[in-house]
Amino acid sequence: MNTFDNTIDMDLDTRGLNCPLPILRAKKSMNELAHGQVIRITATDPGSVKDFESFCKQTGNELLHSTETNGEFVFLIRKPDA
Amino acid sequence: MKAAERRASILAVAKILFADCGYHGVSVDQIAQRLGVSPAVLYQHFASKEALYEAVLNEIACRRESYVEAALAGDDDFAGVLLRMTRVYVDSVVEDPDYLKIEMQALLEDARLAQQFFDARWKSFTDFIEVSMREQTTGINFSQVNPRIASLMFQGMLREALYAKCIYQAEQYRDLSAQDLVEQLIRLFLNAIEYRQ
Repeated sequence: MNTFDNTIDMDLDTRGLNCPLPILRAKKSMNELAHGQVIRITATDPGSVKDFESFCKQTGNELLHSTETNGEFVFLIRKPDA
Repeated sequence: MKAAERRASILAVAKILFADCGYHGVSVDQIAQRLGVSPAVLYQHFASKEALYEAVLNEIACRRESYVEAALAGDDDFAGVLLRMTRVYVDSVVEDPDYLKIEMQALLEDARLAQQFFDARWKSFTDFIEVSMREQTTGINFSQVNPRIASLMFQGMLREALYAKCIYQAEQYRDLSAQDLVEQLIRLFLNAIEYRQ
């Protein structure tokens, strides 16, 4: 596991799904998070790296971390402080 | 011209010729002639015509649209998101209709490539339709329509509309833009699956 384990407040599994479903699910989950909380999103769509960068730019959320291991992508996204 | 630029220009010209004439209808000499170079220049970048064709197919098959904007630009209702993502896709095909011709050829020639085309270009639609219908996404009340069959219907409908507008430019749809045609079809699709928001 990674150094962000202690800060993860929600997990979202979008493996097997192509855009826009991971983005729609992330958007919904971010609405449920409190300000300052962090979500961990897992995806397998190769386009998800660009998609989540773009998602964070457009929504003002902070992409803390992005990794890829054996075709599986993990993103840590923080909802900004109020 | 730098090697990367030369390679890109070869791919661009080869794509146009393969789209119009198919793999067997184009020779390396014709591609070189169109580029204004000798065939030897092509062979510096691609070992054979087959390798060039494969590179063209791979490049097109792996290209994908981003639907982030479509997901974020309005409400999350099924019909709204489907319409917005379809607009993105239609714009992309209208801009580069050769993609459709190459896809059609790939479907006939190579199952592996056909799967790549599906994963990169169509799976976004089939995932969205099937999962939304299965999960009865907020605000949706679908009838007993099979989600997998519905997504196949959508895929066939959209593909045929784009063939009619972008490949054989059918006379009977000439007064409609590709976007207008597709929007009318989406309304029919929503009626067919008894979509009620």
